[in-house]
Amino acid sequence: MKSLRALLVRLAGLFNKWKRDSELTVELHSHLQMHIDENVRRGMTPAEARRQALIELGGVEQAKEQYRARRGLPLLETLAQDVRYGLRVLGKSPGFTVVAVLTLALGIGANTAIFSMVDSILLRPSPVPNAGQVATLATEEIGGTYSALFSYPDFQDIRSQSSALFSDIAASMDFHPMDGLSIDGNLQPIWTAYVSANFFQAMGVKPDLGNFIEPAPQQSLDAEPVLVLGYAYWKAHFGGDPQVIGKSVVLNGQHPVTIIGVAPRNFHGISSLVDIQGYLPLGMASVAGDAGRDFLIDRKSADLGIYTRFRSGATLASAKPALAVIGQRLAAQYPDADKWMALLAYPLVPDSPVDDPSGMIIVQVAGAFFLALAALVLLLACLNVANLLLARASAREREMALRAAVGARRIRLVRQLLTESLLLALLGCAGGIALGLLGSRWLGSINLRGNLPLVLDFQFDWRVFAYAFGAALLTGIVVGIAPALRATRGNLNDLLHESGRATGSVSRRRKRSLLVIAQVGGSLMLLIVAGLFVRSMRTVERSNLGFDANHVLNFTLDSHEAGFNEAQARDFFRTLLPRVRALPGIDVASLAFAVPMDYTLDLAEELNIEGYQPPKDQGEPAVGYNAVTPQYFETMRIPLLRGRGVLDSDTQAAQHVAVINEAMAEKYWHGLDPIGRRFMMAKAPKQPIEVVGIVKNCRCENIRGPIEPYMYLAFAQQYHTPVTLQVRTSLPLATVNHEIVGLVHSLAAVVPVSNIQTMTEGLDTLRGFLLYQIGAALAGSLGFLGLTLAVVGVYGVVSCAAAQRTHEIGIRMALGARPVDVLTMVLGQGLVIVGAGLFVGILAAFAIARLAGNFLSGVSPLDPLTYASASVMLVVVALLACYIPARRAMRVDPMVALRYE
Amino acid sequence: MNSNRSDKTSGKAEDKADVQQGTLALMILKTLESMGPLHGYGIARRIEQISNHLLSLNYGTLYPALLKLEQEGSVASDWGVSDNNRKAKYYTLTRAGRRQLARETHEWEQTAAIVARFLSSEGEHS
Repeated sequence: MKSLRALLVRLAGLFNKWKRDSELTVELHSHLQMHIDENVRRGMTPAEARRQALIELGGVEQAKEQYRARRGLPLLETLAQDVRYGLRVLGKSPGFTVVAVLTLALGIGANTAIFSMVDSILLRPSPVPNAGQVATLATEEIGGTYSALFSYPDFQDIRSQSSALFSDIAASMDFHPMDGLSIDGNLQPIWTAYVSANFFQAMGVKPDLGNFIEPAPQQSLDAEPVLVLGYAYWKAHFGGDPQVIGKSVVLNGQHPVTIIGVAPRNFHGISSLVDIQGYLPLGMASVAGDAGRDFLIDRKSADLGIYTRFRSGATLASAKPALAVIGQRLAAQYPDADKWMALLAYPLVPDSPVDDPSGMIIVQVAGAFFLALAALVLLLACLNVANLLLARASAREREMALRAAVGARRIRLVRQLLTESLLLALLGCAGGIALGLLGSRWLGSINLRGNLPLVLDFQFDWRVFAYAFGAALLTGIVVGIAPALRATRGNLNDLLHESGRATGSVSRRRKRSLLVIAQVGGSLMLLIVAGLFVRSMRTVERSNLGFDANHVLNFTLDSHEAGFNEAQARDFFRTLLPRVRALPGIDVASLAFAVPMDYTLDLAEELNIEGYQPPKDQGEPAVGYNAVTPQYFETMRIPLLRGRGVLDSDTQAAQHVAVINEAMAEKYWHGLDPIGRRFMMAKAPKQPIEVVGIVKNCRCENIRGPIEPYMYLAFAQQYHTPVTLQVRTSLPLATVNHEIVGLVHSLAAVVPVSNIQTMTEGLDTLRGFLLYQIGAALAGSLGFLGLTLAVVGVYGVVSCAAAQRTHEIGIRMALGARPVDVLTMVLGQGLVIVGAGLFVGILAAFAIARLAGNFLSGVSPLDPLTYASASVMLVVVALLACYIPARRAMRVDPMVALRYE
Repeated sequence: MNSNRSDKTSGKAEDKADVQQGTLALMILKTLESMGPLHGYGIARRIEQISNHLLSLNYGTLYPALLKLEQEGSVASDWGVSDNNRKAKYYTLTRAGRRQLARETHEWEQTAAIVARFLSSEGEHS
């Protein structure tokens, strides 16, 4: 208590110092006077009385100093002093300050931006409380593939058999077509999940508003027409109005549902990347047309993810044997549907944006990789500022010597200099956070081109600020410590006696050169990595996709959102297509279930192929597919190799047909003629499909990896929503857009048209070019930053060295050196530095490029062209940076230089 | 909280001891209790007299100690005028100061008694 009070008083003692000082002077003075009076009374002469009093009382100034030390907090006071002084010093050389702060701001900003991305994807805690106890179930299937989807009967069986393990076991259906929500007659797309009643309880989240879907008695399947809104959707479409509770809206055009609650703000559902906008009871899935009528009893329609919360005491490891038993029991009981080898549980945290564990590793590696690149940029920035500070350290040697001479201890001087560099770093940090905000806004604004509501808010939470601040502190110390030790080491005597010219010893210049070599090396490494990414992107973009995306325009039509049933939808599309083809300027038009590289939808089906026996340990092959109308192959310009394409005669009643790609023909009918052969889809085993044509391979599903078997079914013989209308036209999108949307709405005013874009734009998706573009943009901007920093560094060192040698150059010229000799001398020094840096950089790039190889495609991590062009670029720019000071040195007038002493 | 060490021995007289750590505060409090409000010079004088001039206080010891007591709330200060018309700061014991004095006196007596007993028993054995 007492010491706390004293501390507060001492804190107060930091202020109002002048008044307190003068009071103390008065007090001490009167003390002295009384003492003198007393001595006089004892019979001393006034002079003697004063002398004795002074001797006895000790030095007034020392007493004041001791008093002050007690009055305030000396540590704080000297800190404030240092900060004030530091600010004054920095203010005195604004050029230096601006360059240093900007440099650090760039470095810290790049780090902050990238860290904010890593933070939001990898580090932000799951909104699910005790997420460590939540697991998701998966099965290993015959053939070694994994699946995380279960049928409703499976879910019920697992639930009834696992009550000893889990306190909650919930199911959620996330993967189904986009739904439409009519709010006051206004149709909006909504990405929903159908969840079992205990879903929110298992997740352990509380509603932000209203209620969640309640567990129904006897665990019967709840099909009550209620809706829980996602927080962001509620904000965006209802303006965050609390009155929405109880409001009635219409799902998919014809199913009224009542809004009963709003999910908490940072809860996006299970995936951390996709924002679930609405939650509906599981039983609504078949009502709203997002699941088959019999999905409640059909063990083969596996659409549900299962999420469990362990009972306390149970863990992933301890649950393993019990789960295995359950899995085996079900697999033995239902060998047709549950072709399981094992039933497994995976932790929900770190909640993975990618479904499979290996994919998560890629994200982590990518995050670590770009953070490392950003850290390298910061390191380069640090080197630059350290270099500047070293240069200043030599200029301030005399100042430091003087301060040491009047009694400052070395630790005090080092503290002073460190305060200055920390000030620089903190200013840089402020600038860096601002730049980082811009950067992360840019990263967040990348158009992911799709209807999926992705969670990409790279908000700055405390972690990002802590990261930036920590980086700044570290920077301040790293940057400041060497110059500070350096500047305070000098021998007082030598320094004070030295002439006014700052000399800069050879060893110091060597140290600075080493820093710049490291800088050139580091930035070359960044440039090479950037070059690799850019080349990789170019290669991928130029690669032959097997179709011609130019002049193709896409319009996604969702009759499901408008509440059309299958017959209505078929009618609508049958009428629409000829009308579109009749529009002026449209060369060809067709409809398709999927467009290449669309990541919202993965159409694939297990096939039973006549005459094909899958390898023993594997199940029936699953093949990706699309369903297309006639003219599709003309629209996409996919060459037909044999047989025929899809024709108007392939109606619903006719023999079902398929056009397959070369890879499929090769894999399943190796060496035979596939035309006329038949196969069945697992979901329709009584409906044989006949192969009628073969088209060239094209990349429809992925930009990387081998081309997999793929097939095109007849549009009229399959059903799916949404579909995409594709037209080939030489007209620009803006011209055609209105006519087509107008046409669609004249036929069916309620059908929403979305994703209106060119096919070329449509390729910039997560599956397509987008990741390459982001990688190239990120690496490119970091490389550019690195190059800028290196150039500044080279320029600084060479010009400073040249300036310090002005005197020497003057003498050389006076003795007959030609300007050219001076030029080559200065340039030569720069060349040595750049050359050494190149060597270091190429070696470092070899090392890091291996890591980068994980994300590159179509270019070797050791691509000589990239290495060569990055090196040439760096050398040219660096030489330019040397040339400017060299030219200045060349122009030195010997007389002026000699007089410069 | 300890007060700053005053390690400057007054070089003038070897017989004059330096004030022992921690005891100065007690002496100041006791002085103020017996003498009433007093200025710094008076306090110093009184301590020197009581100690029979074995202790001498210089500014650098006395004023930081007074400041510390004031910061801790044991004494309060106010400007006044001395007997011979000099402006001086008078220090007064506060209630907290009285409590502290009582406590420290008790502690000090205890310590002194223990040390005394310890020293005498030591004597018996030798």
